[in-house]
Amino acid sequence: MDEILKKLPFFVDQLKAIKETVISSIVLIGQTPGPTSGEEARADQFLDRLSCEGVDEAGKDSMKNAIGIIKGKGGGKGGGKNGKSNDPILLCAHLDTLFSDDDVDHNYIVRKNTITGPGVLDNTVSIGVLATLPTILRHLDIHFSSDIVLAGATQSLGRGNLRGIRHLLNTYSRPIRCGIIMEGEKLGHFSYYSEGIIRGEISCDISPKATFFTQKYKPNAILVLNEVINELLGLNLPQRPRCRIIIGTISGGHKHGEIAVSARLGFEIQSDSDEMVKKVYGKIEDIVEGIGHEHSVALKIETITVQNAAALKYGHPLVKNAVGIMRGLGLKPVSESSESELSVFLSRNIPALALGMTTGKNAHLENATMRINPMFIGIAQIIGLLLAIDKGLCDEQ
Amino acid sequence: MSNRDWLRENTFHHSTFRDIRALVEKKKKRQVRISLCLPTLNEEKTIAKQIVIMKSELMTRYPLLDEIVVIDSGSTDNTCEVAAAYGANVYAAADILPELPVFKGKGENLWKALYVTKGDIIIYLDADITNIHHRFAYALLGPLLAHDHIKYVKAFYDRPLAGEDARIRPTGGGRVTELVIRPMFSLFFPELTQILQPLSGEYAGCRELLETIHFPIGYGVETSMILDIYEKWGLDVIAQVDLDSRVHRNQDTKALGKMAFVIMKTFLKRIEKYDLVKINQTVYNELIQYQHVPGQYQKDTFRIEGHERPPMIDIPEYRRKFNIPDDDVL
Repeated sequence: MDEILKKLPFFVDQLKAIKETVISSIVLIGQTPGPTSGEEARADQFLDRLSCEGVDEAGKDSMKNAIGIIKGKGGGKGGGKNGKSNDPILLCAHLDTLFSDDDVDHNYIVRKNTITGPGVLDNTVSIGVLATLPTILRHLDIHFSSDIVLAGATQSLGRGNLRGIRHLLNTYSRPIRCGIIMEGEKLGHFSYYSEGIIRGEISCDISPKATFFTQKYKPNAILVLNEVINELLGLNLPQRPRCRIIIGTISGGHKHGEIAVSARLGFEIQSDSDEMVKKVYGKIEDIVEGIGHEHSVALKIETITVQNAAALKYGHPLVKNAVGIMRGLGLKPVSESSESELSVFLSRNIPALALGMTTGKNAHLENATMRINPMFIGIAQIIGLLLAIDKGLCDEQ
Repeated sequence: MSNRDWLRENTFHHSTFRDIRALVEKKKKRQVRISLCLPTLNEEKTIAKQIVIMKSELMTRYPLLDEIVVIDSGSTDNTCEVAAAYGANVYAAADILPELPVFKGKGENLWKALYVTKGDIIIYLDADITNIHHRFAYALLGPLLAHDHIKYVKAFYDRPLAGEDARIRPTGGGRVTELVIRPMFSLFFPELTQILQPLSGEYAGCRELLETIHFPIGYGVETSMILDIYEKWGLDVIAQVDLDSRVHRNQDTKALGKMAFVIMKTFLKRIEKYDLVKINQTVYNELIQYQHVPGQYQKDTFRIEGHERPPMIDIPEYRRKFNIPDDDVL
C-alpha cells in the first residue's frame, strides 16, 4: 500500500498535463441532455468518447446502460490466489441528470478554475472522468490484472429508482469483485453504508372527477396536505434504530386567489433499519387514509424509491485503504450515508464505496459549478483505490 | 461549372469529414501546417471552452492543428489570461507590427493573424460560440484537405439565439444576411447567393489566397473576403460546409444596423472598384441613428472610417518573416 500512497501526488501532477482532455469530455457529454429515462443521446456520447479513448470494448445493455471495458492483463479469467483476484472491478457513475431537454441551456461555461452548467456536479464530472479513464491510465502508464468495467448507469435518479445499476448487476456475465461509485461532490466525502430509505409522494386532488362526494364547503388541497404534515410531525420516531422523516418537496395550486385543487408532498423515510422504514411507511399510509376519508378527498400515497439498508464494516480493507488513500492525498475523510448506487452493490454482497470527485456549489441548480483543480485529486484517489483493489489489498481475508 | 453544379459539388455536411484520422493523413500527405485563429474582445465566458475542446480533440488526440492563436482587440475582462492558461498563444493586436498605425476591429485581428501564425491553412472562428464543437474546425478543413482546387471554405448552420434569459430560441438570426447582403448579392453577383451564410464568422482559407487580399478592419471583412476571392479566383475555389447549429449571442437592432452600415460600405467600395457602378457623390462615414428619450429624439452618430489593410504580402516585415522575395509579390 505504501508504494501506491507514494505515487499519489505524482498522479495529481501528471493528470494536470491532460486537463484539456478531461474537461473536454465533461463538456461534450454534459452538453448532451440526459434526463432520467431519456439518457440515450448522452449514453451514445459517452460511448463515442470511450471509443475515441481506445477502450477495449464498448456497448449498451438492454437497460441502455453504457458500458466500456478496459481489459486486464490477467485475461479476466478469475482464479487468482484468493479465488477471485481477476474478477472485474466496476467503476460506476449515473448518467442521468435532474434537467430535462427543454427550457434549460445545456451549454457549459469553462473558466480558468471552474466549469458551470446544469448537472455538472451531479453527475457529469464523474461521467466525463469515466469516459477519459483509458487515456488517463495510458498517460500514467498504469495497467491492471483485472478488467475494469466503466459503467454509465441509466435511470438512477428519482423515479428511475436505480433501475439501471440493478439491471446491470443482475445480468452482468461475471461476478464483480468490487464497486466504486463516483459522485460529483464532495471530494473528501465517502460512503460505505446506505440507510434504508422509502421515498414517497402524497398527492391530494379535490377536483370533481377525483372525489366521490359533492361537498358543501370545498376543501383546499394545500390545507389537506398541511394536516398530513402536522400528523407526520406528531409521529414518535425512535432513537434506536435511528429514524427520521424528511419533508423535501411541496407544490400545489394555480393562483393566489383560488382554492388549490391539487397539491403534492414529497417525503423520505430514512433509517438504518429496513423494518423501521416499513413500519413508519405503514403509519403514514394510515394517516393518509384517515385524512382522505375525513375530508372526502382523493388523497393518495405512492412509493417512488425503495433502498435497503446495507453497510460494509468500517474495518473492511476496502474502507481502510480508501481512508488511507484520501489521507495520503491530504484529504480529511468524512463518511456519510449514500443514496447512490452503493446500496445496490452492498445488498448483493459486492464490496463497494462511493467517493466524491471534486468541490463546487449549486449542485442541483442550472448554474451548478465545479472546481477543476480538486478534480485531479479526486481522480488520483480513484486510481489509487483501483490499484489497491487490483493488487488484492482490499479483499477480505 | 454551372451555378447548380457549384451548389451541389461545393456544399458539404460536416459529417462527411468526421473521420479525423483520415484528415490527419491528408494533412501529412500534403505537408501543410494548420493554424486556428480566434479573434477576441471580451470573450471570457466562451474562449476557454473553445480552446479546451480544440486543443484536446484536434491537437492532443489527433494532430490536425499545429497551433491555436488568440488575437485580442484589448479585452477588459479575463479573456487573455484565461486563453493563455489553457495553452493558446495570445497576442494583443496592437503589439503585432507595432510600427503600423493602430486600428481596432475584427478584420484587423484576422489580418494580423496572418503575420503571427505559421499555418499554410488558417481557420478563423468567432470566439463567442456557446455550443462549440471541434467539428467547427475539422469540417472547415475537410474540403481544403480533400480537394486541391478548393482554397476557401465558409460555414453555414442553423442560428438559434441565446437570449438574455439564457433560453435558446430555435429560430432567428442572420438578419443582416437576409436584409442586406443577400439582396446586394442578388443585385450584382447572383451566383454568390449560393453561399448560404456569407457573413458567418467561421471560415478557413489557404494562406496563399488570404495574404493577397485586402482586409477591412471591422465587420466588412467577411464581405470583402468573399468578393475579392470571387473576383480573383472565381467561385470554384470556394466551398461551404453545414455545421448544423451554432448558438451565438443575440444583438439588438441598433447593433445590427451598425454592422449593416459597415457591410454596405464595404460592398459599395468593392463594386466601384470592380467598375460595376460609379458613385458620383461622397459616401459618408457616419451612421445616424435616433433614440427616443423623454421629450425629444436624440441623434446617435456612429463614425466608421472604413480603413482597410493592404494585402499582407505587401508588408515588408511579412515578406522578411516568411522569406518571400520581393519579386514574388503579386
